[in-house]
Amino acid sequence: MSVLFGIIFMLLVQSSIAERTRDKMYQAITGASCFRRLNATHQTGCSSPFSGSVGVLHLISTAVDIDFLVNKPPAPPYAPVIPPHLFTRDNILRIKNDAAKYVSAIILINKIDKLIDFSHELKCPNPFSGLISEQTCDPSKQETTWNPYGTGLLHEDFPFPIYYVADNKEIQKIIDCFEKFNNFDVKNQKHRSLCSIQVNSFMSAAVNSEVCIRRTGVFNNLTPTKFCDPLQGRNIYTTLFPRPIVDPVNRVVDESEKIILVSARLDTTSFFDGIGLGAMDSLVSFATLISVAHLLATLIPDRNAGQKNVLFMLFNGESYDYIGSQRFVYDLQKKDFPTKSTSTNILTLENIEFMIDIGPLDDLNNLKIYYAKEFPYEKSFKSAIDEYNAKFTLGLNITEQQSLNLPPTSAQSFLRENISFPVVIVTSNSPKNKFYHSIYDDGTNIGFKYQNTSQDFTKLDTFGAESPFEANSTQIKIRNTATGLAFALYYLVTREVYQKDQIASSVLIDEFLYCFLESADCPLFKAASPPNSLPGLSGPPLRYISVAGGSQEAAGWTLRLLGYLVGSKVQNAVKKNCTEPPLHWIAGFNGTGECRLTKSNYSSAYSPAFSIEGYDWQSGKYSTWTESTWFPMSARIFLQPSKTHEASIRRVVWNLPFKFTHNNASSLLKLAKKTVTKKMKGRRFKIYQLKTNKSTTLIFFNTL
Amino acid sequence: MDITKVPNERKLELCRTYFRAGFAFLPFAWAINVVWFFNEAFNKPPYEEQKQIRRYVLFSALGAAVWLVVLIAWITIFQTYRAQWGEVADRMSFIIPLGKP
Repeated sequence: MSVLFGIIFMLLVQSSIAERTRDKMYQAITGASCFRRLNATHQTGCSSPFSGSVGVLHLISTAVDIDFLVNKPPAPPYAPVIPPHLFTRDNILRIKNDAAKYVSAIILINKIDKLIDFSHELKCPNPFSGLISEQTCDPSKQETTWNPYGTGLLHEDFPFPIYYVADNKEIQKIIDCFEKFNNFDVKNQKHRSLCSIQVNSFMSAAVNSEVCIRRTGVFNNLTPTKFCDPLQGRNIYTTLFPRPIVDPVNRVVDESEKIILVSARLDTTSFFDGIGLGAMDSLVSFATLISVAHLLATLIPDRNAGQKNVLFMLFNGESYDYIGSQRFVYDLQKKDFPTKSTSTNILTLENIEFMIDIGPLDDLNNLKIYYAKEFPYEKSFKSAIDEYNAKFTLGLNITEQQSLNLPPTSAQSFLRENISFPVVIVTSNSPKNKFYHSIYDDGTNIGFKYQNTSQDFTKLDTFGAESPFEANSTQIKIRNTATGLAFALYYLVTREVYQKDQIASSVLIDEFLYCFLESADCPLFKAASPPNSLPGLSGPPLRYISVAGGSQEAAGWTLRLLGYLVGSKVQNAVKKNCTEPPLHWIAGFNGTGECRLTKSNYSSAYSPAFSIEGYDWQSGKYSTWTESTWFPMSARIFLQPSKTHEASIRRVVWNLPFKFTHNNASSLLKLAKKTVTKKMKGRRFKIYQLKTNKSTTLIFFNTL
Repeated sequence: MDITKVPNERKLELCRTYFRAGFAFLPFAWAINVVWFFNEAFNKPPYEEQKQIRRYVLFSALGAAVWLVVLIAWITIFQTYRAQWGEVADRMSFIIPLGKP
């Protein structure tokens, strides 16, 4: 027994020693890496070499510090450590173009004290998927752009990794190490050990989507390799009223079925893997749509004859050339929407009588309604909002504009098929988001403070009643905008004027924003899930579209939310009678369980480019974005031996068969007397004789 | 196998076998033949089979050299133009390098 313990003890000691040696050399730095995406013509993003990039840490505090990197620095390659306010197009492209020889990685640290704006999306997002011939968004004319703060770096290709370190402790590790070993006597850096970072973020794909998809499909050897995956996800939709159930094999297009489509964007994106909440760029409009749907579903629980149906739709992948809406339009044209399994009639573009697309709502008080061509609905829509704006003192300032320079939203996918498509885009008067598609578009950016009221979020607000929220809080502003839109829709659906005093729920908006900005383990998600199901993760759900096999958590939660908030409650139902879809047994606000007749479902957000046989990649018709596959991404700092030391180690290895090397022999050589130079085995040696009191040693020194 | 301990007829037989095997797209067999029998062919006192061995060694050397030249030329061309050839080169490749054009 004791022997066994002895062996186990020794094994433990051994493994812990091995652990310690590595830990003494390296300190892991947690963070997020930039990665490679590809489209039909280009590769964008970053990659490290296969074995990672190693660079000497160098803190950039002002733009002038970049001069150091450009002008032949003493111990290249370097890894500049840059705060976000210096992560500008000029600085980064200067490093990429002028210092690429000397730079092996860029480390972005989360020091936001001087940060004013940070958006790496293009000034005119999705430039090639909108109304290409008519688009007048011009990056050189600030007033025509939709993302005036955009640097476009998201669409550049970097030959080195860019690594974002968010945590303050990790940043301190980097800065301390830099100060201790690197930040003195900079000129002689190459003569001493330097604090360096190794970043691993090797990307498999290259060139463009066509090449990487083709290579993934080539099976020349026994282990097929995947180079890249198409960006794909799911759109989520729900109808206000249930659509008639038909025999799945006898589905037809019912031309008399007219619907109003209300859409918003589900996804967002950023430079770095797994970070980016997209609060202002898309979550506010998402919240508005949810609010509108909930208010309408509560006010009009049953459909009267002749009332139009409303289709609420959240498009996924819109950040990447409108993947979701392009696919939806394609499905409508191919008569593939909704899927057979829904047992409802097929819809086509002609069934959509009117579409309201909720674009970015940077400024919730000043709205603008854009449309491409005049059509009757547009006028009545605007006047209906105006009417309720006055009635409920919503504080909205609404203008309208006919233009072909339209915001980069889902409507573009419909308009490029038919410029007269009856769609309006509701968006803020002018783009104000300084952090569009970035890691800093978070709750702070929209001034969100979670109130945690614990009130029933399915209850509507009453106009004029006391509210737990301040009048200019985000929750109230979204509530007011949603109320205006919802009552305009109410009028279009019922053709009646709403007489009572119930408006959208601000508590619902509070809870919704909390779930998507702070934690998926939240009361609203719990209520929308089956009782006693697993809680959401402690972080907010990832809303980047991602690839097949990605988590798709945002889509999953949204489906549940729409089922809960728009689905109609089945009174006096018991659990065992509520198992067949579309009936769902969910927890509800008080967690006791309730039966909902849901009308929500998924639709595909997978670009037709990847499913059309022999698609012409150069046609620019559909989104072609793919994401490279990669090996585990990581970063660690360590003390790199000096360049001169490294050179001498190389010499040791080279001369290993011989006893001494120039460096460590040199002190002895001073004492010794050179005797002879001799040729041995084809190599020349200088032979030194070292005499001490006790012995005489001959030193063979390889002269090559 | 120690070639010096083998009777001369056997040497010739071996050398001929290796020479013939080389025609099955096996340039290495030729190369081995050359290395193996070079001394026998050129550095040994003359004996009856030596002349034939010498011929096989010479032609093996020639064959191996032609192969070497052709292979080097092809590898150089392929590596230089692989990215440019696109799909054709991808289909030719047994292993496509990761992260490169």
